[in-house]
Amino acid sequence: MTAVIQTSGLTKHYGRVTALSDCTLTVPEGRISALVGANGAGKTTLLRLLAGLAAPTAGEAVVLGGTPRQDPAYLAEIGFLAQEIPLYRRLTAQDHIGIGAHLNPRWDGALVRDRLASLKIPLDRPAGTLSGGQRAQLALALTLAKRPRLLLLDEPLAALDPLARQNFLASLAEAAAPKGEGEVGGGLAIVLSSHLIADIERVCDHLILLAASRVQLCGDTETLLAQHRVLTGPRKDTTAIARTHLIVREDNTARQTTLLVKLNGPVIDPTWTVDEPNLEEIVLGYMSQDEAGHGVGRGQAAGRLSAIGGDR
Amino acid sequence: MTWVTWRQYRSQGALAAALFAALAVALLISGLHAAQVWHSASAGCRKDGICGNLSLTNGAFTTLVIATTAVPLLTGMFWGAPMVAHELETGTNQFAWMQSITRRRWLAVRAGWLLLAAAVLAGAVSAVVTWWMGPDHALNADAFKANRFDITGIVPVGYAIFAMALGIWAGMLFRRTLPALAVTLAGFAGLRELIALWLRLHYMTPVTVYYKLTGSPPPKGSYLTVSQGIVGPGGQPPVGTGNYVFNGEPIPAVCGKAIQHPGSIAPCMTAHGYREYLTYQPASRFWTFQGIETGIFVVLAAILLAVAFWVLKRRDA
Repeated sequence: MTAVIQTSGLTKHYGRVTALSDCTLTVPEGRISALVGANGAGKTTLLRLLAGLAAPTAGEAVVLGGTPRQDPAYLAEIGFLAQEIPLYRRLTAQDHIGIGAHLNPRWDGALVRDRLASLKIPLDRPAGTLSGGQRAQLALALTLAKRPRLLLLDEPLAALDPLARQNFLASLAEAAAPKGEGEVGGGLAIVLSSHLIADIERVCDHLILLAASRVQLCGDTETLLAQHRVLTGPRKDTTAIARTHLIVREDNTARQTTLLVKLNGPVIDPTWTVDEPNLEEIVLGYMSQDEAGHGVGRGQAAGRLSAIGGDR
Repeated sequence: MTWVTWRQYRSQGALAAALFAALAVALLISGLHAAQVWHSASAGCRKDGICGNLSLTNGAFTTLVIATTAVPLLTGMFWGAPMVAHELETGTNQFAWMQSITRRRWLAVRAGWLLLAAAVLAGAVSAVVTWWMGPDHALNADAFKANRFDITGIVPVGYAIFAMALGIWAGMLFRRTLPALAVTLAGFAGLRELIALWLRLHYMTPVTVYYKLTGSPPPKGSYLTVSQGIVGPGGQPPVGTGNYVFNGEPIPAVCGKAIQHPGSIAPCMTAHGYREYLTYQPASRFWTFQGIETGIFVVLAAILLAVAFWVLKRRDA
């Protein structure tokens, strides 16, 4: 399996602030990958490093077989949509299509026009007068028109209402779907950062979880779902479980214990009720773990990270 | 990228072209009139040596022409400073930089066209102004004076290139339009003043002439005065006794009595070896000075642009 993105020890400092620390991950080809994590966890930094908009302090990234760099051939392969949805406010969609046509080797202006027509977004109005959802759709269409092989999207859903969000994700899924026979290696790979796990769960088949500038979880969602279970039972000591499995999160009420565990074999103890978690529960489990134990949990988290790293 | 630059700046370009056209028409009408007055009068008045009374033009046009000294500054402030700063401020650079084009090329092409546009505009304005100034300079011989030297010939082109580079550099460094604009204004005005009032006087070793206190035929043509005054026999300036002055200089003690008869001051001082001097840059050096000053500003512009490129390369987007 070839990797679209492979990073090792990727680190970025801004002055004294560590934005991303020792980030090692692999994104296989053809995935729609969700990049999740709390605010300030390093999502934007990671995406910008991958896009070549920033240079790493340490470590390296290999994206589509090369290092992110200032080179037209590399830039042509990458579509990056920043969180701020950067568009020239006074220029129309038509103007933006013109700019793209002049600055990109394989530009599909018809794609933008078709998408905007189907979404009823006018071509001749300044981008500043469009709604937030329309701007996001225009920016996505412009990014897709580059015909990139990798699409990096930073919080594209943040500005959208639920319906626009649904349309946007549908557009993404459509863009990522394998093309005709001519296309090699299937559709486009996408990495998409978001807080809205419930929304992206429907389209994403891969997940990267960043917390405290580090990678806590990285893998295909199916694998992650299969690896984790929610155990519910009467309140009792959990050392027996911890001996075989990895407890990600433990919640205790007076009478009941709820555990999110990463399985390492079947759960034998019949006093536990075993349920399949959804992606959001897994993500929240790992995120709260980081929040709970900055001092104590640090070593623990690192231990888990290597455990996760093992199953790639 | 050229097309993109054109698309982004065409309305500003059109505005600049319209303003230039208006200026050119106004100066053409007024200039033709002035030329006619000059030619019909010059034959007579030059012989009589009373051309000084000749009124060539309306004062409003002179004000307009002097105001063109702001053209280079305005291009630097309103084209140069926002060129990078406005994109960084609004984040649109993230759109531009994610097209299949390097940041370096993005900056090079835009900066290149804007520098060219500023140079052409400043050059065109200067050409019209230089033509318009012709009769006035011939009449008053003040082409080399500050405020005249600065709006004619090729120096406005150098100023415009410098102002544009300064604006681009400030935008790259300060990343916001308003600070970049302020820095461009202060930097340009400050440096221009410094050079016009001090450095320009010393581009070449000036020439000094001495002449009698009684008769002072000035050098021919429009020269640039560096300093002038009265010196004594040993080259020292006169040391006065009282509050009395002659031609702005103190009256030396030996001629103290001459004060009662003003007509005898000059002969007395002359008799004691006092004479007037004038240190100046001759009119023949006008174009050399234009070249030197343009060169200084173009070199400074090149340095600023090199720094801008270096900052762009070093800093993350």
